[in-house]
Amino acid sequence: MRWVAAIKVSVHGKLLAGYLLVTLLVIGMGAISLQTISKMSSQSHQLDEAHERVHASQEIQHALAMQMNFTAMALLLRSETTVENILRENNRFNNTLARLEKAAQPEEVELIQRIRAAQGEALTIVADIANLIRDGKVENAMQLQHDKQYPLYLRIEDFVTQLVVRERNKMDQLRASVAAANRTTLVLMAISAVALMLVALLLGFIISWSFILPVQKAHGFLSEVAKGNFAATIQVPNRDEFGALAAHMNHMSQELHRLYDDQCRASQELEKLNTQLQQASEAKSNFLANMSHELRTPMNAILGFVEMMLDEIYGEIPPQLREPLVDVQTNGKHLLRLINDVLDLSKIEAGRMELVLAEYSVHDVVEITRTSLQSLALEKGLDLTTEVDDGIPLAFGDGKRITQCLMNLVGNALKFSKHGSVAVSVKQQGKDLLYRVSDTGIGIPRAELENIFGEFQQVDTAITREFSGTGLGLNITKKFVEMHGGRIWVESELGSGSTFFFTVPLRMDHVEAT
Amino acid sequence: MNGKTVLYVEDNEFNLKMVRQLLARTAYRLIEATDGELGVATALRERPDLILMDIQLPKISGLDATRQLRADPRTAAIPIIVITSFALSGDDQKAKDAGATAYMAKPYSPRELLQMIRKLLPEQ
Repeated sequence: MRWVAAIKVSVHGKLLAGYLLVTLLVIGMGAISLQTISKMSSQSHQLDEAHERVHASQEIQHALAMQMNFTAMALLLRSETTVENILRENNRFNNTLARLEKAAQPEEVELIQRIRAAQGEALTIVADIANLIRDGKVENAMQLQHDKQYPLYLRIEDFVTQLVVRERNKMDQLRASVAAANRTTLVLMAISAVALMLVALLLGFIISWSFILPVQKAHGFLSEVAKGNFAATIQVPNRDEFGALAAHMNHMSQELHRLYDDQCRASQELEKLNTQLQQASEAKSNFLANMSHELRTPMNAILGFVEMMLDEIYGEIPPQLREPLVDVQTNGKHLLRLINDVLDLSKIEAGRMELVLAEYSVHDVVEITRTSLQSLALEKGLDLTTEVDDGIPLAFGDGKRITQCLMNLVGNALKFSKHGSVAVSVKQQGKDLLYRVSDTGIGIPRAELENIFGEFQQVDTAITREFSGTGLGLNITKKFVEMHGGRIWVESELGSGSTFFFTVPLRMDHVEAT
Repeated sequence: MNGKTVLYVEDNEFNLKMVRQLLARTAYRLIEATDGELGVATALRERPDLILMDIQLPKISGLDATRQLRADPRTAAIPIIVITSFALSGDDQKAKDAGATAYMAKPYSPRELLQMIRKLLPEQ
């Protein structure tokens, strides 16, 4: 099999060669059979001829008997006329003998010539007998018949019998020969058939296994590769298409190995980078968390001292100082909001923001928002209205964060409206609460509606300058809403105001908070 | 100087100065401590009528100091206002858990702080 596999011929060529070999053997067997049949046919012909000769010999014997008969009749009737019948029989005898001679074997020719000579002699005697009868010497004729013709005929009879025996022997030989040839042919055919079958099976076995073995090896090899063993190689003795396939597979395995190594290296590098990034991110959020208190401590002093000055704890302040002091206070508070937003966001990003779940009242959420922002609304001459469905039961979630969200939205609404009103409403929709904050402000361009909840997104920088703000409020609001499992969206028309909606579950599952 | 004593535990001198000035015009007497350990020691020694405790302090935190004072029978009954970092961060809950009587988020309004002190400890 290995030897067949190693032959540098294509699969196609090997299969064709195999079939051709078997076909040639079949043709060979056919040729032998034809030869045998032709030999048997020739022997059968010889047998026919021998048969013919026996038949002819019998005719001769018959003619001989008739000659004897007619001679006897002539003697009985004392008339030579029946002798003519003897001549007629003689012609038949000669014709038959000539036919026999033509088909005779060389060794028989001599015997036939002796028969002819004897017959010639017999005819002379018949002529003598006829003459004697015509002369009325019947006694002499009878004597002649008895002394000469009869023994001569006996001799001829003997010759013919010899010929018949010889032919019979020959026929027996021929028959034996035909039977032997028949047996030989049968045995030969049987042996050839078995040999042919064995050759065909052997060829089929060898050729098919020379194909199956590389396929089996390829199967094993591919299983190894599939298991991730890229060091596996496939070795086949084939130098045909299977050999080429195996070479390709080895090449593929090498390539896979190389790619896998590259991938591993890249993955390790990524992992390292990721770890570094995580460490950096953690360091950042730790830093920001620690900064929280550090930032608040000086803010406490700044805002505290300004408030005490404005409360005239240090005595009456000159009127021209009041406005700058209020400005310091306003900006200090704004700075504080910025700090709070940045810290919230950093906590959310670091995944360290946890909701503090408890029962809370939606009415309280709205009321706290209203009282906190009422002064800003009054300052800007805006109408701030709130409406909460009476039937809403106690909610469960992080009430403070929900309040923060609502304050962000209402704060924005007030910030971006120059006149008109800001309306807050809360409705229960099945298991959810729907918060709605609509304003009559500047509105949001359609293209910006998607981006508005992103980090540091404000519609444009000019507006940022005019209205100030951290740009983080909506992003934080969105994240808190989503931490509750809720959804936030906005509908807006440029120039005629915006409406922000968000939903949160009325009662959060405890599982969701973890 | 028979006024009621308030202990402010805070490491920032400006905040100390601010509260000092805030209480200067009241009848309260202010004593100060600049870290958690000193805070606990001062409270045990002076037995103030009210304690303002910053949450983040050197040595031991304001929460730990509060817990220690609550655990000690000599100071267990003294009202403690814990000054937390940020009301929304869960510090208020931690303060309550540690035994704070009340909490106030930093930055606080001096006006509101004084109102809270007066509520817990009437001036007269």
